[in-house]
Amino acid sequence: MCRLLIRYACLAAAVLLLNFALPRLLPGDPLDLEASDGLNAAVAPLTTAQRLQLREQYRLDRPLAEQFVQYLSDLARGDLGWSISRAAPVGALVAQRLPWTVGLVLAATLVSALGGTALGLLAAWRGGQLERLVVGAAAGLAALPEFLVAMALLLALSVGTGWFPLQGARTAFAAQPPGLLGWLETALDLSWHAALPAATLALTATAPFVLLTHGAVRQVLLEPYLTTARAMGLSGARVAWRHALPNALPPVLTLFGLRLGHVLGGAIVVERVFALPGLGLLGFEALRARDYPVMQAVFLLASMAVLLANLAADLAARRFVPGPA
Amino acid sequence: MPPPLLGRRALLAAGLGPAVAACARPAAQSGPAGAEARSAPAVDRVRFAWADVGVPTPFRVSTAGPGGPVLLTLLYDTLTWKDDRGIIPWLASRWEVSPDGRDYTFILVPGARWQDGQPVTTQDVAFTFDYYARHPYRWMSTAMVEAAEALDAAHVRVRLKEAYAPFLEEVAGVAPILPSHVWAQVDDPSTFDGAGASLGSGPFRLAEYRAAEGAYRLSANPDYFAGRVVVGELQQLNTAAETRVLAVRQGELELAHTTDGSVGAALKGDSRVKVLETEPLSVVRLAVNTARPPLDRREVREAIAYALDRARIAAVVTKAPPVVGRDGVVPPGSPWFDPQAASRAFDPARSRALLGGQRHTLELIADPMDREPELMQPMLEAVGISLVVRRADAKTRTQLLREGRFQLGQLQHIGVGGDPDFLRRWYTGQETNDFAQGFTFVDERYAQLAAAQAAALDPARRRELVWRMQTILAEQLPTIVLYYRRFYWVYDSARYRPMNTWGGLMNGIPLVQNKLTFLAR
Repeated sequence: MCRLLIRYACLAAAVLLLNFALPRLLPGDPLDLEASDGLNAAVAPLTTAQRLQLREQYRLDRPLAEQFVQYLSDLARGDLGWSISRAAPVGALVAQRLPWTVGLVLAATLVSALGGTALGLLAAWRGGQLERLVVGAAAGLAALPEFLVAMALLLALSVGTGWFPLQGARTAFAAQPPGLLGWLETALDLSWHAALPAATLALTATAPFVLLTHGAVRQVLLEPYLTTARAMGLSGARVAWRHALPNALPPVLTLFGLRLGHVLGGAIVVERVFALPGLGLLGFEALRARDYPVMQAVFLLASMAVLLANLAADLAARRFVPGPA
Repeated sequence: MPPPLLGRRALLAAGLGPAVAACARPAAQSGPAGAEARSAPAVDRVRFAWADVGVPTPFRVSTAGPGGPVLLTLLYDTLTWKDDRGIIPWLASRWEVSPDGRDYTFILVPGARWQDGQPVTTQDVAFTFDYYARHPYRWMSTAMVEAAEALDAAHVRVRLKEAYAPFLEEVAGVAPILPSHVWAQVDDPSTFDGAGASLGSGPFRLAEYRAAEGAYRLSANPDYFAGRVVVGELQQLNTAAETRVLAVRQGELELAHTTDGSVGAALKGDSRVKVLETEPLSVVRLAVNTARPPLDRREVREAIAYALDRARIAAVVTKAPPVVGRDGVVPPGSPWFDPQAASRAFDPARSRALLGGQRHTLELIADPMDREPELMQPMLEAVGISLVVRRADAKTRTQLLREGRFQLGQLQHIGVGGDPDFLRRWYTGQETNDFAQGFTFVDERYAQLAAAQAAALDPARRRELVWRMQTILAEQLPTIVLYYRRFYWVYDSARYRPMNTWGGLMNGIPLVQNKLTFLAR
């Protein structure tokens, strides 16, 4: 356990260093303005004097070592810096985006993990036509890019039918009625807007769980102790849930941990297509703008989340993996 | 006798802008001059699609595109403005220019108020230029202003360091006038978001900015000096480019844009959703590194220009009737366009003759999404030029161009529709922006003309200088314009009517939500 924690601590230190270094290794300058969509390369006439002033303001004129020390010092104080492209505190930007991303990606990950695991187990246990159908559908779904699934859902369920909105995380500037009814209305509005993006994420994320669980359970089914359990007269469902699934679970848990870790990384494609204010899109836009402070913050959160999720998965796997007799 | 505004436009087109506009009629007789452009339907709400442009103050709004500065024009006012026919008075009801072109005396329109009820004063105007000298407005430099002084309650004088012909359009018509009672106490406007940070005198006041969603809600200013604001609420929403047009069709938005020229055909027959196309104010061009062989030879640059079927490239990419690039850079339709400046039509035989049988391999830096390189490759190959395309994102591209590590670079941007001073700024190296990226052109005659036109007070003389600059550009080809782009604005005609602005909004921006479209007349 101790060695495991030390290993993760070393990884965290390496992540910090990479978070600082990688953005600066990219070609391009954060002060080279880039246009928002449609009007590419239409930029304000930034004079050389203004450019020098901004370089000083954002401390980009300091030596890298000094910038790194400052970064660590700011981080220790909980200060994530000031966005160059958005002229706003990075901490506030991240905090504004965090709930949207966590809510959406977490919900989709949970649904896909539970649904995918159940389907994988069912397919492996029942076999026959159901197995072929489920595994075939999952393999097909796994091959579809998120963008395509998102557009298909939009075309089928929004364009024309108008059942779901085309974009946005909620009805823009809708007034919330007072009281419980108001909260309920807001919750319904949020769910209505989140339905298609969440469905996109859930659909594309379910396939790996189905395939992994199916494969793992199929392997476990060959183990002699399951034959023994059946011979002892245990019901099929009990054998599946109590004996087959727990033993097939470690790789599924690892996958779940990895997916969970990506919650804070956001879902760039879905956030972009549905115009959702998530962390993924914030990070992507920061990358395009070479906005070092925002890139550092988003990457730090995402990588730390992956590390923590992996650590949790490691610990869970230790608990679930059958120990020596 | 022609109608006054049409006459003014014709005169402006002939280069008689500032002198004539100074004689324009006062603004506050029955609403602002030019507000008669077209009627605005009175509606409770108009929603339009754009991106998040940051905190809407002059010092924090994003200047990485025109959306932020245009949003500010709805919250703030400028001394002059533009309608569909030319420069018009706005916060200044009229102005006088000294014979040496250095002093502009503006007469403030009576009755203008800040959105907190305080009057807009000449002290505010003087303060604004003084404040911008210390804290620049990044969309447009005011560095040419030496000092501004309130002469009395109605007159304010802005003194320039030297005569600057585009001042009325590019500075007086762009720089938001600030309330001194808010900003005088602010030492660091780049972080200020306190009370009054978005307080202007414009037709709308900021009701809410949802930073996470990049969404803005503006409510009508009931005391607007320039006329009744007929749209109760304006929302600018951060929307995905892929679904914007659909959103207008579905009634989720009232205004959105696309660069896809086929949208008009797609919406033909729709009685509610219409398309307004802008003038071709955006340019797609090749920056040519004239310092690197073989592009240091004019005949090679000419050969490239002759080899490219620019009409076909434009038609394929824009899916619309092409507006073929002119070698003099200024687009046709601009009042500054020189119809006499030569431009090379597609002529592969002439291209081959210029190359004299020599083969060349050239590298082009382009955006990963650009389609033009694939179209250019076979055209150039046919004359003996192999085009190696190197894809790079905007930041990488900009750095390569800035450092001169390129032969050809494909750029696309707006800014060619307004005042022609951009021809000087591109090629003088005074600005480190994308407009100027890839500049390696050195021509003493051109530099002299560029400096002279910027200071030319006689409009006819200025036009002549600008035309001569176009002639040199067309001769020397430091950049090869492939084509000009229009923007197609899809709108709900029952609720909103956008308009094209003369030469583009402010300094040549092809956005159509001119503040005049929200006013009754």
